[in-house]
Amino acid sequence: MRGFDWYPVFFREMLLFKRRFFRLGYFLSAMMVPLIYLIVFGLGLGRDIRISSSYSYLGFLIPGLVAMSSMVNSYSWIANSVNLGRLHFKTFQVLLQAPIPLFCVVLGEVLSAMVKGLFAGFLVLLAGLLVPSGISLKAPFWIAFVMNCFLFASLGFVVGMLSKGHEETATYSNFLILPMAFFCGTFFPLERIPGFLRPFVYLMPLTHTNLLIRRTAFDKMALLSWVVLGGYCLLFFSLALKLTKDYDE
Amino acid sequence: MAFPINATIYVKSVAKSYNGLKALDGVSLEVERGEVFGLIGPNGAGKTTLIRILTTLTKPDEGFAYVMGFDVVKEPLRVKGVIGVVHQENNLDKELTVYENLLVYGFLHKVPRLRQKIEYLLEALGIKERKNSLVSSLSGGMQRRLILARALLPDPPILFLDEPTTGLDPQARRTIWDVIRKGKAQGKTIFITTHYIEEAESLCDRVAIIHEGKIIAMGTPDELKSRLGEFVLEHIDAKGRLHQWFCKDQEEAYGFVREKGIPLTIRKVNLEDVFIALTGRKMK
Repeated sequence: MRGFDWYPVFFREMLLFKRRFFRLGYFLSAMMVPLIYLIVFGLGLGRDIRISSSYSYLGFLIPGLVAMSSMVNSYSWIANSVNLGRLHFKTFQVLLQAPIPLFCVVLGEVLSAMVKGLFAGFLVLLAGLLVPSGISLKAPFWIAFVMNCFLFASLGFVVGMLSKGHEETATYSNFLILPMAFFCGTFFPLERIPGFLRPFVYLMPLTHTNLLIRRTAFDKMALLSWVVLGGYCLLFFSLALKLTKDYDE
Repeated sequence: MAFPINATIYVKSVAKSYNGLKALDGVSLEVERGEVFGLIGPNGAGKTTLIRILTTLTKPDEGFAYVMGFDVVKEPLRVKGVIGVVHQENNLDKELTVYENLLVYGFLHKVPRLRQKIEYLLEALGIKERKNSLVSSLSGGMQRRLILARALLPDPPILFLDEPTTGLDPQARRTIWDVIRKGKAQGKTIFITTHYIEEAESLCDRVAIIHEGKIIAMGTPDELKSRLGEFVLEHIDAKGRLHQWFCKDQEEAYGFVREKGIPLTIRKVNLEDVFIALTGRKMK
């Protein structure tokens, strides 16, 4: 890999992002779902709920919504972009035929999807900071936030490569992303998950993001979650790279 | 293995199957430096599959393929550095402008003096006034010109053009033909697939006819046509059936007309006649 070979791939996606950003639909769709959750669960139902003595329900919910929103936006943009570019618009082939290492094609795509995830997460954070919640944004929050974007951008790339059509991409989304949004500790603490579901929930990467994003310090208790999150990052990115290297029309 | 020193493109016994169906079946060919080489055949004959192999999008099941001496399977990065590709589809970023499409491609291919080259190509291909238009607002002909400009941007020594003029109006087609001729004059090697006979005859130094994944004839257009003769006489009978007779020269053709005493039309033999004679089928 030579220096910034990934940059043209990233640059292209940023140009597309800029063009779509100013469309009302994109901005609203990135914001709408987390804002609804924030209003309904945070300001409505959650007003009188206390998770612990240290912080309010809003303080619990906002980091979870940041994780959920960054997951959805990192994942869905790249999954659709790779899938449509590969099967419909054939623009993905232009990237594959460029004289840059395939690692850089994958890295450029993943980094650009991360930008969308980080952007959506920041929007939620901004909205959340407007209401008093008592959240503290320490180093584990930021690291888990970035790792979450990388992980789901890589997963989105994998899904974009694997699915045989736009509908299949939506199916993957329904089976992977939607359950994670609800069961992995975004809206309520993991201790309240029914026992039989707990092993499955702890297999899900968003669970570990949610555990880490709410921590205020690096401690031994969270070590396993860091390892799991890092492992998923490595696994999904390696899989994305392998699928690109094995690509054969 | 021995690699012919003059061959810019060298394909040996290449085979490729999809779901058990052979798209290519033992294809071998060589293209020399500076040559315009045409691969002609009907839809589904295997033309695009061969281009995909030569441009590293697909790996052959069997055989070897080299571009500028680089193995398309083992050295794909080197191959990508010497080729420009015009795909069958208008695979542009339609949400970006003409200029942005070229800018991204130029960055991808590390084109030096990129902005000057973009301006030059926009002018040369007659799309300068649409520089800041979104690609989605361009006509099919304009998009095709843009794709050609994009392929030419890194100034590659080899161009692969997959059905470059399909669906274009005559004016847009002529513009693309002019660009191909200029490319040849500059010494580029051009590999073109088409099912337009007149395109192959007017542009190509040599052509290969591909049918059901096999090369069934190869040579200059004149060599291939001379296998049948120079003229073809045609007669449509009362039942609407077409009858054809090939004549080696004008004298033989006139003699045939006098002998038959039926209404006949006369025209020059073309490559489609060669294809029909070899396969018993029409090209399209």
